Amino acid sequence: MHGIPIATVAICLLNLSGRGDTKRLMTIKREKIGTVLEGEGQDSGAAAAFGWPDKGESRSLKRAGRLLAVSDLLWIAQAGLISWALGSLPMMFSAADDGQVIEGDLTGLAFQAAAGIALVAVLRVFLQNRAETVARQTARAIQSRARAELLSVAARTSPSAEFPSSGAFAAHVTEQVDLLGPYYRNFEPQKVRLRLVPLGIVAATAVFSWVGALILVVCGPLIPVFMALIGMRAKAASETQQEELVRLSGSLLDRIRGLETLTLFGAIERTQRQIADAGERFRTGTMRVLKIAFLSSTVLELFSALGIAFCAVYVGFSLLGEIQAGTWGGALTFAQGLFILLLAPEFFAPLRAYAAAYHDRAGGLAARKKLATLFPSQNTYRNPKRADGSDVPVGSISLSRPPAIQFRSVSISHDERYVFKEFDLTIEPDETLLVEGPSGSGKTTLIDGILGFQEPDSGEIQVNDLTATAIAPLLRRKVIWLGQSPRLFHGSLKANLLRAVDTSAAITEDDLWQALRLAGAEALVQRLPRGLETPLGEDGFGLSVGEIRRVALARAAMRKDAVLLLADEPTASLDEETAADVIEGLRKLCDGRTAVIATHDPALRKIASRRIDLKALGVLAEGEVFA
Amino acid sequence: MRSVWHIIRTQHRYDSFHFWLGILVALLPAAAGLLLLGVSGWFIAAAAIAGLSGAFLNIFAPSALIRAFAIVRTAGRYGERVLTHDATFRFLTGFRNRLFAAMALKTNDGQRSGLLLNRLTLDVAVLDTIYLRLVVPLVLSLVVAVSLLLVWSSVSPLLLLTGAAFVLAWLGLAVWTFARSDTKTARRSDAALDAMRLRAADLAAGRRDLAIYGGLEAAADSVLVADTRLAEAQDVEDHRTSKLTAGSTLLGQLFLAVMLLVCLHEVGNGALTAAFSVGLILVVMGLPEIFSMSLPGLSRLPRVALAAGRIMHLMRRPEEVEPSQSLSVPETGRQGAVPALALEDVSFGYPGADRRVLEGLSFHLAQGEILALAGRSGCGKSTIGALAARLRKPGQGKILLGGLEIDRISEKELRRKVTVIGQKAYLFNETVAENLRVANPDAGDTELWRALEQAALAERISENPKGLQTILGEGGLGLSGGEQRRLALARAFLTRPALFVLDEMTEGLDAATAADVLDRFLSYRGDAAVLMIAHRRQELERADRVLDLTAPCGSGIRSPEIILSEFQ
Repeated sequence: MHGIPIATVAICLLNLSGRGDTKRLMTIKREKIGTVLEGEGQDSGAAAAFGWPDKGESRSLKRAGRLLAVSDLLWIAQAGLISWALGSLPMMFSAADDGQVIEGDLTGLAFQAAAGIALVAVLRVFLQNRAETVARQTARAIQSRARAELLSVAARTSPSAEFPSSGAFAAHVTEQVDLLGPYYRNFEPQKVRLRLVPLGIVAATAVFSWVGALILVVCGPLIPVFMALIGMRAKAASETQQEELVRLSGSLLDRIRGLETLTLFGAIERTQRQIADAGERFRTGTMRVLKIAFLSSTVLELFSALGIAFCAVYVGFSLLGEIQAGTWGGALTFAQGLFILLLAPEFFAPLRAYAAAYHDRAGGLAARKKLATLFPSQNTYRNPKRADGSDVPVGSISLSRPPAIQFRSVSISHDERYVFKEFDLTIEPDETLLVEGPSGSGKTTLIDGILGFQEPDSGEIQVNDLTATAIAPLLRRKVIWLGQSPRLFHGSLKANLLRAVDTSAAITEDDLWQALRLAGAEALVQRLPRGLETPLGEDGFGLSVGEIRRVALARAAMRKDAVLLLADEPTASLDEETAADVIEGLRKLCDGRTAVIATHDPALRKIASRRIDLKALGVLAEGEVFA
Repeated sequence: MRSVWHIIRTQHRYDSFHFWLGILVALLPAAAGLLLLGVSGWFIAAAAIAGLSGAFLNIFAPSALIRAFAIVRTAGRYGERVLTHDATFRFLTGFRNRLFAAMALKTNDGQRSGLLLNRLTLDVAVLDTIYLRLVVPLVLSLVVAVSLLLVWSSVSPLLLLTGAAFVLAWLGLAVWTFARSDTKTARRSDAALDAMRLRAADLAAGRRDLAIYGGLEAAADSVLVADTRLAEAQDVEDHRTSKLTAGSTLLGQLFLAVMLLVCLHEVGNGALTAAFSVGLILVVMGLPEIFSMSLPGLSRLPRVALAAGRIMHLMRRPEEVEPSQSLSVPETGRQGAVPALALEDVSFGYPGADRRVLEGLSFHLAQGEILALAGRSGCGKSTIGALAARLRKPGQGKILLGGLEIDRISEKELRRKVTVIGQKAYLFNETVAENLRVANPDAGDTELWRALEQAALAERISENPKGLQTILGEGGLGLSGGEQRRLALARAFLTRPALFVLDEMTEGLDAATAADVLDRFLSYRGDAAVLMIAHRRQELERADRVLDLTAPCGSGIRSPEIILSEFQ
């Protein structure tokens, strides 16, 4: 019975090595899945942790591991059947000198054993399949939830707040969340399996021979010790290599994107050489890492092979009578010996599976860490919880006439600097107000305030005597808005225009062309290969800066029932021709609406009915630092 | 599937020695593993018989064998992994280079979306599956199966029959996976992943636009819709994989049961000794491990086939090669005698378009002259620029550069003679210095600073503590649009061509910046000729001559004054 406590030590060692790279105790604590979210509910601000399983999910993963373990342990039954069927062979052979055995006996025995093995086999496969399905579905659920949480933070974050770059956000939502899948699906169940199966095998072995059990128990824990030693080196090497890979594929992509530039400067050949060199460096680096990684799995193989070999030799010599020790009294029979030998490989199998899944663990943990750092400041997305005003019922309010807008003693600060301090402004219905001022004087903040993207620190912004944030959901559907660098979205040009309207069913082709005409974009769309159906890539791909601006203006013009027009530097960095078209379009759109145009382009003055200069108004253009 | 085959052949051709060496070495641990089991089984059975009957048994040979197999298996596994991975990575590195070369030849396909490029780099990474997870395990399984069939056949026909039946069953499983490989689902899941990436990027980048046009919540939902589609597609794939795994495991276990039956039957017949039968049964225990090695590869096959297909598509049709005769542009002493650029009766139509953009166009650009191309958008101005830079080839007519037909100038010479400054100059995710040295790899730091100075960017760059070593980031992030344009200009200021092609250089710039950029360019250009694709007054005003492409044929070239008066 020495086997059991030593096995426990072995398991402990295994677990330690499993966490060998997580240096701080904290991380080890967090490893216990499911316990994390208990104390810190998502609303308490710790919601930055994405991709953690909830209680039910970690239970499911453990259940999958247990199912796997049971399926594994059923091998003990099968091994028993095999040994039982074959157990009488040597006796018969040694009794009847030249192997004349009663055939009926053997075949009958074999039939029973084979039937038993087959039956257990079906059960094992069923259990394995079940475990796999459970683990897979659970992992998928965790992934989907992580995605949903990331996206809900993104949707809740005010557009005026800081946000990760589009590339980083997209990579997190796709690749990083994808990395969680293999971790939960493969690694977590293996952990449970590793705790149960070797223990069971050692126990079953120990029933007949404590030496056999001892061989397993000695070989088993040595594996994680050596693997951990090698693994530490492997980890450092693999991290640098991982960075190298990211750099390599990034730079390849970069160069393919800039191919035309490279061609025009005759730099293709040079670049090819650079890429070849980088690829070669990457290859040697990868091989260096892999060699270490392979070494660690080789240690595993070595000990498991040696363990099996030792068992075989021990059993063989016992049967020969050369070794008398190791059993609980009496000599080891052939059936017992065979049984021990059959069990040995299964002792090591979970270890190997664990080691194989270890890679997934590294990827999953790294991904989870990255997800947690995506939104570094928790305030970013918790603060403007009313930014979309969803908690204020707006059903009773209607916006069918140009609204009046009032700023009452509004103070807004960014980065400890006042943008507005006790700012007052009244915008009459129907007027076209030009807000001038140098960059940084708060033009964008003013428009954000009206749209409810920005809540004032003190004071109130009112639209038709209602708080801006409260009316925002309605207002945003009734506004014509043209930003500084408008963005078009993936989809056809038509789909982009239709984004402006709630129900696209009532929109005719004529309406679209009318809007395009107003924006001076008619000719440009006619020129496109598929007209309105032309697909636009990311970032309005395929259109020039000026063309994007025109299409964005057409999109804005689709809102015929809008009561308010807000434009933020609509002519910034435009050539005269486009600027003239945009101004003309805006002039038509301002008619019959309350309009606020933020600009420092004097050309826009001709369409305004009133003009204010934020700097002259006593707003803190230079930014007064808090006392 | 053809493309997978093609990749295998390509890798074989690339380095057939390592290709076969990897497979050969992979055989060692597999064989040693099976023999380890077999000999162990035989040994203990023989030992038991000997122990009971007191007969003599040479115990040292088998126990030495057992240890030897254990070591060969371990060392062989290590060697196999190193060799096969090395062979694969060698191939992929070379392959990546070829892919880039192939793409370089195809720049005139027009621009590609970042999405496609992204997919492409992911695709190359997927290709390692082919050799590592398909070729090696499948060859291995085949060799093991054939050798075992030989062993079984030497024992008894019944054993051979049983073994053959199960080997065939495994083969059937593999063929079933292969034949029913479901590229449709793989394509669906690729598409869903792409949609998710795109929509998430849109959601992050266009937050204000989305909040007003369509709503952020709806945008977030649309990403989740893609996630659901992805989950559905992956579920189908996973389902197949687990069916495959379950089938293979079940086969292995049933084989064990039947083998037990058959072996005992044969022992009863006297066709088989007891010890040998135990060995045979134990060998069967080791088989599933070998046969299941190809399962991951087989279940990923549709995905790999798609990736391979996309890559092969790109590598296909090698474009027309470099001109056979490499002539250099004669340096003419007589300034102005040979036009810097001449188009003679050039016509051009984009593939697939019914209308030709250019029809029988002829004009000359004298050395040192500034010629502006005017006309409304879409009249072919940019096409002329692309033709002059040999990014496109005319359907008909001749283009002469310094008196030589453009087709007959070597690539290197051509790029030295012509510099294009476009509206969308690409900035690499590298340091400022490296971005500039794209134009001239030999330029020293002083030259770089001078170029930056001329582009009025030196101050901005020197503000940064790292100076020229500042990394620009994706798409030149950190610099404003105007600054990026200036950097592109500085890059051009490191070349000394005979002809500058300005393709709407000032598009998207405000008037003051545009004028500044233009003037800086003109003061740098020296006596180089300039073909200016213009769309604003400022540009036309600075030209020696203006070619109005919208004017009726024959009266193309007019003085700037006439054109200007029409512009007003």
